[in-house]
Amino acid sequence: MERDRRERERQEHPRPAPDRRANRTILIRTGILAVVFGVAVFAPLFGKLYAIQVRDHDFYQEKAIDQQTRDNAVAANRGEITDINGKVLASSGTVYDVILSPKDFEALLERWDDAFTDSGGNLLTDSKYYYPRPEAEKVAAGLAEILGADPEKLLARLEKNTSYEVAATRVEQEVNAEILKFIQDQHLANSIYTTPTSKRYYPHGSLAAKLIGWVNWKNDNKGAYGMEALYEKELAGETGRVVTARDGEGVEMKYSFQDYYDATDGNNVMLTMDTTIQYYCERILEKGIEMFDVQDGGFVIAMDPNTGAIKAWANSPNYDLNDPWSITDPVLLEYLETVKNDPEAAEDAYSKALGDMQNRQWRNKSINDSYEPGSTFKSMVLAAALEEGVVTESDHFYCPGYVTVADRTINCSKKAPGHGDQDLATAVGNSCNPAFVAIGQRLGAEKFYDYLEDFGFLEKTGVDMQGEGVSQIWPREKFTSANGITNLATASFGQRFQVTPLQLITAASSVINGGHLMQPYVMESITDAEGNVLEHTEPTEVRQVISTETSRRCREILEKVVDGGTGKRAYVPGYRIGGKTGSSETIKETGEDPIANKGDDYTIVSFLGFAPADDPQIIVLLAYNAPKPVVPGSNLTKDDYYISGGNMAALMAGELLEDVLEYMGVEKSYTEAERAFIDVTVPNLVGQTAQIGRESVTGAGFQVRTVGEGDTVTAQIPVGGAVIPSGSEVILYLGEEKPDELVAVPDVRGRTAAQAQEILARYGLYLKVGGSSRYMSSNAIVASQEIAVGASVERGTVVTCLFSDNTMTD
Amino acid sequence: MARLRRDMTMEQQLAQGPMDLPFLMLVVLLTGIGVITVFSASYATAASQGRGATYFFLRQAVFAVLGIVGMYIISRINYQHFRWMSVFALLAAFACLLLVLTPLGYGWDTVGAQRWLRIPIAGSVQPSEVAKLGVILYFSARLSKRSSEKKRKYDTKTTLGAILQILDNWGLMELIPYGVILLIILILMYFEPHMSGAILIMVAAAAVLFAGGVNLRWFALGGTFVVGFLLLTMQGYQSLRIKIWQDPWAYPRDGGYQIIQSLYAIGSGGLFGVGFGQSRQKQLFLPEPENDFIFSIWCEEMGLVGAAVVLVLFALLVLRGYWIALHARDRFGSLLTVGIITLMAVQVFLNISVVTNLLPTTGISLPFFSYGGTALLIQLAMMGIVLSVSRQIPAPKQG
Repeated sequence: MERDRRERERQEHPRPAPDRRANRTILIRTGILAVVFGVAVFAPLFGKLYAIQVRDHDFYQEKAIDQQTRDNAVAANRGEITDINGKVLASSGTVYDVILSPKDFEALLERWDDAFTDSGGNLLTDSKYYYPRPEAEKVAAGLAEILGADPEKLLARLEKNTSYEVAATRVEQEVNAEILKFIQDQHLANSIYTTPTSKRYYPHGSLAAKLIGWVNWKNDNKGAYGMEALYEKELAGETGRVVTARDGEGVEMKYSFQDYYDATDGNNVMLTMDTTIQYYCERILEKGIEMFDVQDGGFVIAMDPNTGAIKAWANSPNYDLNDPWSITDPVLLEYLETVKNDPEAAEDAYSKALGDMQNRQWRNKSINDSYEPGSTFKSMVLAAALEEGVVTESDHFYCPGYVTVADRTINCSKKAPGHGDQDLATAVGNSCNPAFVAIGQRLGAEKFYDYLEDFGFLEKTGVDMQGEGVSQIWPREKFTSANGITNLATASFGQRFQVTPLQLITAASSVINGGHLMQPYVMESITDAEGNVLEHTEPTEVRQVISTETSRRCREILEKVVDGGTGKRAYVPGYRIGGKTGSSETIKETGEDPIANKGDDYTIVSFLGFAPADDPQIIVLLAYNAPKPVVPGSNLTKDDYYISGGNMAALMAGELLEDVLEYMGVEKSYTEAERAFIDVTVPNLVGQTAQIGRESVTGAGFQVRTVGEGDTVTAQIPVGGAVIPSGSEVILYLGEEKPDELVAVPDVRGRTAAQAQEILARYGLYLKVGGSSRYMSSNAIVASQEIAVGASVERGTVVTCLFSDNTMTD
Repeated sequence: MARLRRDMTMEQQLAQGPMDLPFLMLVVLLTGIGVITVFSASYATAASQGRGATYFFLRQAVFAVLGIVGMYIISRINYQHFRWMSVFALLAAFACLLLVLTPLGYGWDTVGAQRWLRIPIAGSVQPSEVAKLGVILYFSARLSKRSSEKKRKYDTKTTLGAILQILDNWGLMELIPYGVILLIILILMYFEPHMSGAILIMVAAAAVLFAGGVNLRWFALGGTFVVGFLLLTMQGYQSLRIKIWQDPWAYPRDGGYQIIQSLYAIGSGGLFGVGFGQSRQKQLFLPEPENDFIFSIWCEEMGLVGAAVVLVLFALLVLRGYWIALHARDRFGSLLTVGIITLMAVQVFLNISVVTNLLPTTGISLPFFSYGGTALLIQLAMMGIVLSVSRQIPAPKQG
């Protein structure tokens, strides 16, 4: 039955005879399709995916992350620079750049048009959100008012087809606040924005400019020059980043991921420099430059001789760290003026000159360059000779005003008949060249050169400053060879070679500090933002050059330079100051200098001073480059200052050292002889009891004489408030009449101080020492007196006398 | 009361045969992966549109379940019935293509092309999807009878008759019905316009015709025409596409944006991907990440390894599909399967080529992955047809 049914079905639906050929075609072609679409097409897909996902993965990932994240730099605060007492010399604050995005502004206007105008072009002022259309002119004007800029220029920038236009750079916090308010009020978000950036502030302006250096905001706020550059890494810190995910519409997705790379604030650098001492040094440098008509600047270095710590380093020309591109130095300005006004100057002459002057004021000559040390170098020759035992204090030297070495005649500063016979201390005090030629010869070329090496003149001091220069000294053979004798001779008094100022002051320190050559340093310590000390400079002794005893002997001899020698203008009553003067003629150099050419009347006058002489706490080196002679070739400036270290640098050094020593708390201690000439103010004692009167007068350092028997002071000579030398006699009248007859001023000209005082006292008058030096040597005589001879004056009048020495040279 | 197997006709018995399990597994696996990928790819977009994060996912999941149920039901249908249904399918396709041009369709306002027909409950359907099915069914049905058709006789005495006879000898005359159908469809789709849909219909038709044994010279001729047509149209808008394809970065805004974002997504995936759900490119960078470019997100999250897995699954599905075609009981089954499988393979190839910038951009979705309920339904329905064909594969002879 089943079979029948199937049979029936087969008859009802006869199956077509299988078409083998057609079936085979289908099979073959399906097979082809299977190979093509089941295998072949997937190969290029996989290949392409491999290329994108593996080969070019980094490229795409970087681009993707770029757009997916918002990477905000977090500026690190630059560390502070402070002086040894923690006074801030450089610190950073935040200022802002104002950026325009004209494209966003255009889009903003379009959005405004869409939102507040209907299809007919009518304004939809009823809209709750309506605000006036922020027209470009209005925005530019508003912005210009806040920034104090030109509205036309801002408008031009606002109408450019860009998305980044700088409207202003480095505006202060208050201006930024105004800008932000303006943006908010005018609905200008995104079209105008401000970005914070860092600004360096130097509270002391130009103080120690070349030491501190500055931060160049034109170069990514990196340190340029000075400590700012040297300790850039320490000060800068590390910029941090905040990376936040953002979506395709720029919305930050804080929940998604956020990576912080904390900014590490810069470390603070403390300098060994003392702001007060630095200030004194700069003041004295400027004062000297003005007084002596100095053309090519100068420097003052102050150092702790026992450690090598730089206490101050003043330089001229100087500039304002807060505005380093401006020229403020009067000498440089004058030069610029001449270039500006020169009708024949080339077109770019001024900008070139400006660039030159900028470099000149930024460059620290006193670290970069070497100079002829002149007689200050004799300190080292003296020390070497004493150490080697080739001279002693009892040795005598005869100076006829010149010395002949080989066939060359070398003049002494004091021409014939010269200094004559002198002991060692006097020879040093006179800065006698023939004496030092002899000392040099006794040392011998080999020893001489050994000491050059030992005192560090042939190596860098290793100070932590940029661009330390090197000395220019002949090689050893030039001294030791047969005809090296003249080189040795000139070198013995510090001529015809160059050392750096730092080498000189470091070597001189070792002469006076017990023989220790110290490595000078500027950085006291580096601390992190929390105040942890990361680095602290310990004084480093390079080597012991001379013995402690030799050093003591040198100090004594050098003290005599100030105590009656060429350095006497550095004398300060009450302080024991030692030192050595120097005046160096310079050798002509190749190339023209716009301001002063070496070789042409270019003298470097310098003074090396230290105090107190028995226990040095401070050593200073002052130098003025090229005081201008009144006429070419003259020894005098237009204000009649004799061009020499003793008359110029020593004079300034005295004033400087007095200030510095007082600041350092070094007590004055007068000798008996000094005490007689210290000016003290007489107290007013009229009306006081005799007892109090006596005590007050003696307490103030005067001698007292009373006239009469009363209990009350009725009058006194001199009157209260008068300034007279301490040790003078004050007369108190106890009831007796004060004699009121006038006296005639006697003639004390040509007398020494002691004589003059005695004569004046006989008339009831008082002597006051005036003039440029406070030094009272036994030789000094009164040159002039301020009150004319024979003039009638009251008893007790103070007669100021000007003393003079013979013209001093060194 | 269940009918006993022996009570059924042979054909009914055949239709009750076992489904091809490997094929079924691959379809279900890909659909599953696809739906999950829609979830990951779409939630940022959904959230930005103010919808729940799972809006697209849930809709897609519902359609996937419906689609798989539908696939099973279709697989139970004896596919021989599709022979007569094919005419209606084709007519339905024409109807849809016409209706879409009426206000019943939409798309002009949003994408500038009238490509969707609103249908109640389901949402919308693309007439091109219906047309694909209609063309495959009708062409397969017609071509399967090709060898049994009587040779037409022409009156060779008349000139026309003689020409027709020559054309018939070349094999052109039998192609005329197919040509006319395709032409009508192309013309209707030209008005939408919907170029990518038209390409896919052409491909499906060509696959069926190819397997059906049509002389290769017509493919050569047709291919020449298509290439010529493409060259002609490579002006303006179309040529801009080529330029963007060559250097998308030159057009970061005007058209290159999507492909650039796609490349960023794929490229940042690397070998192992950024992790499932971790795509950052879907955060409003890549436009419509749940749609044509869904594979980019998959690549970003799962890396080259994940991408290769999906490629292998697709390749296996395609190969298993052709295996079914090769083993089908009759030519109709073979051709049906070849058409459906080739269409799917080409769609996969084109979609991935576009997202990797191997080929210029065309709007072709990725089967089983791209968001779209009715498209998934129709896709799964076609898989159901293949499964139905697989049921009737004669069991291999024992021994």
